[in-house]
Amino acid sequence: MTRRRARRLLLGALAYTAALLVALVFLYPYWWMLVGAFRRTRDVLSNPLRLVPEQIDFGVFGEIARIGGVDLWVYGVNSLLITSASTAVSVAITALGAYALVRRPTLPGFKLLRAGFLVTIMYPYMLLLIPVYVVMFKLGLLGTYAGIILFLALGPIQFFLFEQFFRAIPPAVIEAALIDGASEVTILTRIVMPMAAPVVATVTLITFLLNWSQWFPILVISRASDTYTLPVALLSMNTELGSNFQGIMALAVLTTLPPAILFVIAQKRVMAGMAQGAVKG
Amino acid sequence: MALSRLSATLRLLWRERIFYAFVAPFAVITILFGIWPILLSIQVSFTASATALRATPTWVGFANYWTIFADPLFTTSLWRTLVYTGLSVVANLAFALALAVLLDSTLLRRGNMAIRVALFLPVVTPDVAGYVVWRWLFDRSFGAVNAGLDMLGLPAFGGLSSPATATAAILIAELWHHSGFYMLIFLANLAIRDKQLEEAAAIDGATPWQIWRLIILPQLKPALLINAVYATIQFLKTFTVVVVMTKGGPNDQTNFVSYYAYQLFDQGRYGEATAMATILFSIIIVLSLSMLWISERSGTK
Amino acid sequence: MRCLTGLTGLVAAGMLATAPVHAQQLTIWHDLGDNGIAWFQRMGEEFARTRPGVTIRSQSFPTEQWFGRVIGAINTDSAPDLIFNNYERVIRVQSQTNRLLDMRPVLAASPDRTFLGEAELRVATYRNRMLIIPIQRVQMALGVRKSWLDRAGEPFPQTWDDVQRVARKFKENPPPGSTAANTFGFALQAARPRDLIHMLDLFVFGSGLEHTLIDPAGTITIDRPAHARVLQEFLRTYTSYGFVPPDTINHSFTEMYQVIEGGRAGMFRVGDWNVRRWEQPNTLGGDFVVGPWPRFEAGRENAVVAGGMRGVAIPENSPNRQLAQDFARFMLSQPAQQASLEVMGAFVRNDLNVSALTPLQQWFARAQHRLVPSDFPEATHAWYPELEAAFHRRLLTGIANPPANGDWSAFITATAQEMREAAQRLSRNN
Repeated sequence: MTRRRARRLLLGALAYTAALLVALVFLYPYWWMLVGAFRRTRDVLSNPLRLVPEQIDFGVFGEIARIGGVDLWVYGVNSLLITSASTAVSVAITALGAYALVRRPTLPGFKLLRAGFLVTIMYPYMLLLIPVYVVMFKLGLLGTYAGIILFLALGPIQFFLFEQFFRAIPPAVIEAALIDGASEVTILTRIVMPMAAPVVATVTLITFLLNWSQWFPILVISRASDTYTLPVALLSMNTELGSNFQGIMALAVLTTLPPAILFVIAQKRVMAGMAQGAVKG
Repeated sequence: MALSRLSATLRLLWRERIFYAFVAPFAVITILFGIWPILLSIQVSFTASATALRATPTWVGFANYWTIFADPLFTTSLWRTLVYTGLSVVANLAFALALAVLLDSTLLRRGNMAIRVALFLPVVTPDVAGYVVWRWLFDRSFGAVNAGLDMLGLPAFGGLSSPATATAAILIAELWHHSGFYMLIFLANLAIRDKQLEEAAAIDGATPWQIWRLIILPQLKPALLINAVYATIQFLKTFTVVVVMTKGGPNDQTNFVSYYAYQLFDQGRYGEATAMATILFSIIIVLSLSMLWISERSGTK
Repeated sequence: MRCLTGLTGLVAAGMLATAPVHAQQLTIWHDLGDNGIAWFQRMGEEFARTRPGVTIRSQSFPTEQWFGRVIGAINTDSAPDLIFNNYERVIRVQSQTNRLLDMRPVLAASPDRTFLGEAELRVATYRNRMLIIPIQRVQMALGVRKSWLDRAGEPFPQTWDDVQRVARKFKENPPPGSTAANTFGFALQAARPRDLIHMLDLFVFGSGLEHTLIDPAGTITIDRPAHARVLQEFLRTYTSYGFVPPDTINHSFTEMYQVIEGGRAGMFRVGDWNVRRWEQPNTLGGDFVVGPWPRFEAGRENAVVAGGMRGVAIPENSPNRQLAQDFARFMLSQPAQQASLEVMGAFVRNDLNVSALTPLQQWFARAQHRLVPSDFPEATHAWYPELEAAFHRRLLTGIANPPANGDWSAFITATAQEMREAAQRLSRNN
């Protein structure tokens, strides 16, 4: 009995060592980024391992207060606005769309639409560069928030999560309401959506986190840096005249912080939702 | 006859109009920003680049396709993309599975959630920000990775400085960014497995390895399949890590198809670029459909 | 249904909010970053004195994005009013779109053009069309960290032998707090075709030679004895000499600047536009001296390289073509040029006031050193960029697999042969 316990203790110690080691390696880049925001380029390059900055000096945020002729806060507001709006649009249209596709899968055109959507999400989107640019130009949406927001509104995980939830609603619930004479709109707003509230919350969270990271479509659809978000600004920070290494790290911290905080607060819901959305997809 | 069928269809459409209304915004966005650009892209691949964006493009048939297949840089790029995808899928799935098994074990009770959060955090971190850091961590002379190896008395890692190690370097950076997601899927699958089978086998005297290999692993088939499909699509499209960390270098080692095509776009060589896009797209479709087909034949859901 | 209405409202609101409101705004796309934006801002204010109501909106893209944006916009008729960049980059835009305005009549209507020399105007012309109005000369000198030279007890290196000796001493006497492992003689770049060949341009023209890869007659020059010597030493600099960080094979502007500003390299390229930034305390704090590129053989005169010309071009589908031409001409005026000198460090006029500049800035502004212009093979051979890309690929393959004995002669002979065949093939196809 004691030998088994000793063995278990040893195994436990091993498991913890392995897990903590991996976790530390995974977290290390964040620490490096944070410390790098306070260290001068020459210090970082000559002693990259230092774990605490030589000095705590917020001056770097003054240096990046204006990037590419646009104030830093504008990028922050853009990030918030574009991410929130595209999340709202995404949740609304995907919920409605998935609901209709689940309730009436065989209506003319519905199968085709679902297949078309699945194909769309498989396409290497970075290669849609010019076509999307042309489409946005033809629609008059080039360089507008509307163009960026609408483009970001499509996503696979959102769709699969909703589809899966609506499929799981017992048909009897809806049939009962129909017999009572409820209209489809009433059923949706009074019965289905209240039931779907947790899923809506999960999808909203996940979409927000995913869209916050987007950069390429925003870069392509923008005409000028006024509509850039934080990740796009981060990628555009180096020019032929030089690049502010410390500033890049500081901006990287600002870009990473909001989703990281949101995720840590809502960790259970995000992880459960992500797993669910993927598993049934 | 045809007329009555048409009127029946119309009646059906009218009766179900509310569902068409529900689906309309979703359909409009999918068509405008998904299907239309894809069709446009395929169309451009059959036109001469100089005229591709004009109202009346010059059609050149498969000329762009012949051109890119005659370009040794593209065929090398395609081959390297496939190899990189293969390596990444295997590495990510193996690593994620190992982590999932570790985190699922009863040995790790306390702090389990915190470790999960740490491993999943990179998934929701903007990839651009993460790779900007990895780019400098890997620097041969000024990076933390080599400083660390040096401190431990280990041989230096070439990182992005040599073609031989650059693939490994970006594979590691991508592993950091993506593996948490695959781990999560494995964990979800592990949580719903039938634990009674293991208890029964343990009573029958099976070793832990036998239990894992013969009882747990077969139950993980759905997660393996989903992860394999996701990861294949993901890594065939590898792009951001190349933009941020290597720009296709060193010496074209990481110039994968998506990045190579993007460079051609930037030079206005739209025909060739979209031809490459179409080929990559076809490979993605064929690979993911065949994986699904194989799994369905072998009886998994 | 309510959702739908809400959605439509949102979209409409978004479109309204972003609709253009300025009637008279000129948009210009460049890659000069915050300095460039400040410069255009100043010129815009000056321009508005004579053109009330006109605003200048400049947008800076990282260089690699700039190409794609400009080419894509011109091809889809969504072009900006003006574009600004190095001449060889504008040529590439023209060769992909063929839709840039001929600037000859624009320049002819300007009173400010007497200071532009014959050679400069020739350089701005491609296939019988003047693509840019030259606005800034681009000078590139060799920079060396002053404190490093003092520590090594060396004067500014004049010959290639000096450079080698100094580079070794730099590594042997790293700055305080550094080690030989993270201290290097040189910071160079190599990642993309223009990066590496641009560096080779400096070595070749700076040493008093001409034509890096191909001469105007279309002959490959790299295996001529004097050229081969420079190329051989250039390749050794990247490999066996260990003068540059091993990651250089994958370094572009960004990384090269980070190595320089991080104080990890003793010698580097200094462009006239770099000086202001490197005089700031958070970069080099002015701790560097500049001079001509090293001489490779006695008897040849070394020099600072004029790596061409930055200028302004106008797409044929520029939305405000007339006004754009006025602004392009304005960029040659005294106030615009003075702003260019003060903000960017570069200019083309010869009547500017340099007294307010620092000594390092004045060194470039007075241009009293020997200045040789590098050539523009792309102006003579439209297919040059493709040849250059092939050459770059070949050199990088060589650098990734250097010869064991450090003798590149066979490599250079083989590469020259390959380039001859490539040049022949490319010129036939075009």
